[in-house]
Amino acid sequence: MLEVRDLDVSYGDFQVVWGIDLTVGPSEVVCILGPNGAGKSSVLNAITGLAPRKASAITFGDADLLRIPTYEIARRGIAHVLERRRLFPTLTVRQNLLLGAYNPDAKRHRAETLAWVETLFPFLEDRHNSPARVLSGGQQQMVAIARGLMSRPRLLMIDEPFLGLSPLMVDEIRTVITRINADGVAILFNEQNVELALSLSHRGYLLESGRVVLTGTGEEMLGSDLVRTVYLGV
Amino acid sequence: MSAVSNRRVEGVPLPLVLVGIAALIAFPLIFTSPTPQHILILTLLFGAMGTAWNILGGYAGQISIGHGVYFGIGAYTVGFFYANFLVSPWLTWPLALILSVAAAIVIGLPTFRLRGHYFILASVFIVDAIFIIVSNWEAVGAAIGIEYPIYREGDLAGSLWALQYHDSKLPYYYSALGLFVASVFVSWRIQFMPLSYYLRAIREDQEAAQSLGIDVTRYKLVALIISALITTLCGIFYAQYVLYIEPAATISIIISLEIAFIAILGGIGTLWGPVLGAFIIVPLTEILRQKFSGAIAPGFGSGDASLLLQLEYLLEGGGGNLDILAYGLIVMLIARFQPNGVLGFLRRLD
Repeated sequence: MLEVRDLDVSYGDFQVVWGIDLTVGPSEVVCILGPNGAGKSSVLNAITGLAPRKASAITFGDADLLRIPTYEIARRGIAHVLERRRLFPTLTVRQNLLLGAYNPDAKRHRAETLAWVETLFPFLEDRHNSPARVLSGGQQQMVAIARGLMSRPRLLMIDEPFLGLSPLMVDEIRTVITRINADGVAILFNEQNVELALSLSHRGYLLESGRVVLTGTGEEMLGSDLVRTVYLGV
Repeated sequence: MSAVSNRRVEGVPLPLVLVGIAALIAFPLIFTSPTPQHILILTLLFGAMGTAWNILGGYAGQISIGHGVYFGIGAYTVGFFYANFLVSPWLTWPLALILSVAAAIVIGLPTFRLRGHYFILASVFIVDAIFIIVSNWEAVGAAIGIEYPIYREGDLAGSLWALQYHDSKLPYYYSALGLFVASVFVSWRIQFMPLSYYLRAIREDQEAAQSLGIDVTRYKLVALIISALITTLCGIFYAQYVLYIEPAATISIIISLEIAFIAILGGIGTLWGPVLGAFIIVPLTEILRQKFSGAIAPGFGSGDASLLLQLEYLLEGGGGNLDILAYGLIVMLIARFQPNGVLGFLRRLD
């Protein structure tokens, strides 16, 4: 469904991603792993055109994402939840959510989608009138994910969904990601914690210094020597 | 009645808004001398422009120090055709609005790619470049500007057609009031449209807005066009009011700054901020100017030439320039102690 071939990302003369190939199939959960600065966010940002990119192909279904401006990509079925949530701080929770349903198709089904995300995250209904900035970090992350879902995506990309969250919140987000996927949405996300990420993914890509050094199913990767010695320390 | 008295317009009770409008309607009937009327005309004019500026600068967060361009387009379009061919402004105002939209698109499309400070700088350079061009453009009077032929007949129909009134300031006053109310109404109405959420989303996080599918450039442009159209109408009014147009009083950086300051000092991004800003700053600077820079023309208020004379004095800045000093001091004090503007200060007292 999503196919990235031979992706380079450079900020000026400084290249951070080197020749990455990546695919996400329908209803798949895929994670991009790697330490800080490995280029994980750059890959996601390059897919939606927020980072300067060069690639032989980035396609989503029959859409050529290299030729589509960022604001149109949401309409094609990809929701991108940016790193550090990036809510609109003075807007209320509800206003943030409604802005997620911007494209015409999402607008038509707005009430229905809102009901869906409010069953995924029940607090959204209780706090609908609070400005986004007064929520806790975990709640903000949930609003950000819910806002992404409001566009009724086929692929939800989440940049560091667990960043800075308490263990309790991590569990909650993990459960929700599984539920969203069970409702038929493919998910691509970034994470540093290899064990956590692979435990809820079908497949993963391990990045080091902007290159894919390992890829495979969750089990394959957890069993590999590289992951075991370097990332799990066993 | 309770339905009326319980309603609030952006935090201000509706009855208070209605009383305010009634007071503005009654004002020139109570204060019949030209000076207070003149001060209030300028206040309403700059209130309308500050409010229009705030749609782009406040709601969408795109700080422009270049609105003199749209002010100038209004003034110069009607002025050029009246001075050269005696064409009534009634026939040329649509052209001014068309030119204004065209300028907004030509200026907006490339500069909206710039962020923050770079956008502000670009707006300053553009208004200054156009200022220099107009100052050297013989067809529109270059640096001297355009002096209006005065319509002297004094009959109402002719006066209306020429949009000049020399017996009384009342027609000007009520036109300015109309512009002001219309501008505030547009600004208020936008807050109930989806547009306002797109603009606020763009202001608060442009990338996040884009990633949600919002066409950022398009909505910035819509905000600029609304803002520019109102500013151009104000420019038309200004030309008809002072009957003398020169680059320094229309397309300059100073005028562009004044328009922005009104909104910034009053409270950026709020409905009432620019209104408050105009009602504080314009009377204050006008009074300071008259008290400290000797700008009251001799014989002011008697005869046709008085207005022109007064304006010449005003534009020359008179003697002292203490008014500009005070203006700077106000800006510094508000920036230091009340970065949210005067409205932010009042809200905290509430």
